[in-house]
Amino acid sequence: MADRITDDELTEGVARRPRRRSLRLGMLRPAAMAVIAFSAFFAVWEFASGQLISPFLLPPPSKVAQTAVPMLESGEILRHASISLWRVFVGFTLGSLVAIVLGVIMGRLRLVNELADPVIEFLRYLSPTAMIPIAVIWFGIGEASKYFLIFWGTVFFVLINTIAGVMRTPVPRQRAAQCLGASRLQIFLTVVIPSSVPFIVTGMRVAMASSFMSIIPAEMLAANSGIGYLLQASAIMVQTDRIFVALATISALGFATDRLFRFACDRLLHRYMAWSGSN
Amino acid sequence: MLTIDSVTKIFGEPATGYRALKDVSIEVPEGEFLCLLGPSGCGKTTLMNIMAGFEGINGGRVLLHGRPVTGPGRDRMMFFQDAGSALFPWQTVEENVQYGLKLQRIPAAERRRRVDFNLSMVGLDEHRRKFPAQLSGGMRQRLQIARGLAVDPDILLMDEPFGALDAMSKRRMQGFLLDIWQRTGKTIVFVTHDIAEAILLADRIAVMSVGPDSRFRDIVTIEIPRPRDPSSPGFGEVYAQIERLLGHDLDRHEG
Repeated sequence: MADRITDDELTEGVARRPRRRSLRLGMLRPAAMAVIAFSAFFAVWEFASGQLISPFLLPPPSKVAQTAVPMLESGEILRHASISLWRVFVGFTLGSLVAIVLGVIMGRLRLVNELADPVIEFLRYLSPTAMIPIAVIWFGIGEASKYFLIFWGTVFFVLINTIAGVMRTPVPRQRAAQCLGASRLQIFLTVVIPSSVPFIVTGMRVAMASSFMSIIPAEMLAANSGIGYLLQASAIMVQTDRIFVALATISALGFATDRLFRFACDRLLHRYMAWSGSN
Repeated sequence: MLTIDSVTKIFGEPATGYRALKDVSIEVPEGEFLCLLGPSGCGKTTLMNIMAGFEGINGGRVLLHGRPVTGPGRDRMMFFQDAGSALFPWQTVEENVQYGLKLQRIPAAERRRRVDFNLSMVGLDEHRRKFPAQLSGGMRQRLQIARGLAVDPDILLMDEPFGALDAMSKRRMQGFLLDIWQRTGKTIVFVTHDIAEAILLADRIAVMSVGPDSRFRDIVTIEIPRPRDPSSPGFGEVYAQIERLLGHDLDRHEG
């Protein structure tokens, strides 16, 4: 087995070839699968609506599309969507920043970690939805309460992951840096933080998904704009087709943002991310 | 000269904790290749961590060039078995080697010279823009060695550095390490549980007993001239001698 391998053959095989292939053939297959899957999904839905379920309860995709066109043209969807997106963006960014700063400190200072951990473990079970009533009382029905709720939903995911990333920085890596002459602060800045990046990004992705789940109830219960409000207003008027347009918008926004986030991370942080899968 | 003078190490409370090492003494002269050999649980890694300054001691003295060792320093470079976790995966081969030089604020031109020199010594100059994840296990280990040599330590402390490699890579790395040792004249302390590896490499082999209260069972000087041939009768004799020394612990521990 072993005698056939030279170092160069190994690297070629390990890293180069699969990457090049994935650009051409590898990307095509999932895309084709997605097209097939969605076609089948819409076909079944179109058939079910009318044949199996009343089209009023489950409007067919064709009807949803018909409803969506004027809503798109008038800018109604765009307006609500951009309001929701902005709320998610502000709350998510604030939550991530606070969580990363707190997390790297907590992961490093044992005492702070030991003191804060029980409190966090207790608070994390309060979902953003559970916090809506008190958020409205504290911050009113305006933007601040929405920012707060998204912040609340983001901060624990990112915090817990950041702490884990800091604490799991391999000891040999830190000791090697120490032998190479790094001070404690230098180890923290140049070894521990870069080593935590994949964990932090994972936490942020989960938090991003959760943000999209929490913005909807927040806007349904306490807002007069945003996709959640559109959903709620349509429900009051029993306009099921408009409800489905709103639901489709939520899915599309969530999906697009996650992909955008992943793309940005791949671009900006690929040095820190590339190895996290191997090793 | 590295002096270990009746060192005792206890993990936990002195009265109730685990007594890992008891009264261990050895002197490692400049330029020596010393192997610490013993079964797992004999405290060889603990002793190495003490030499590196990562672990404190409960009795005795550790001196480097006559001065007490109080913590890690650039004069003693530790090399870990798992090079993948010891390297900086977000840095290229070249950047990994530069890390220690940048900390010392060595000017760019001198830095480049030392990076070039050390990368060509370990045969990685063609791979300088790759990331550690793109290297094979043996190449990662060579990169770790180049990174450590770049800061010019007096002593290389190597904790089973080839333990995770396949037999062929291991053989190649042993030859490669001997070559580097002969070219640089560094002092090397090398931990292993592989008897043949120790005989192949070492000037002296310190054979350790299983803990608690580990100590040196014996320190064997290897007189076989280099390059050493594992299939030679002389090699076999030393092998048998060391196996006898370990015998008691082997019976107790295998299986």
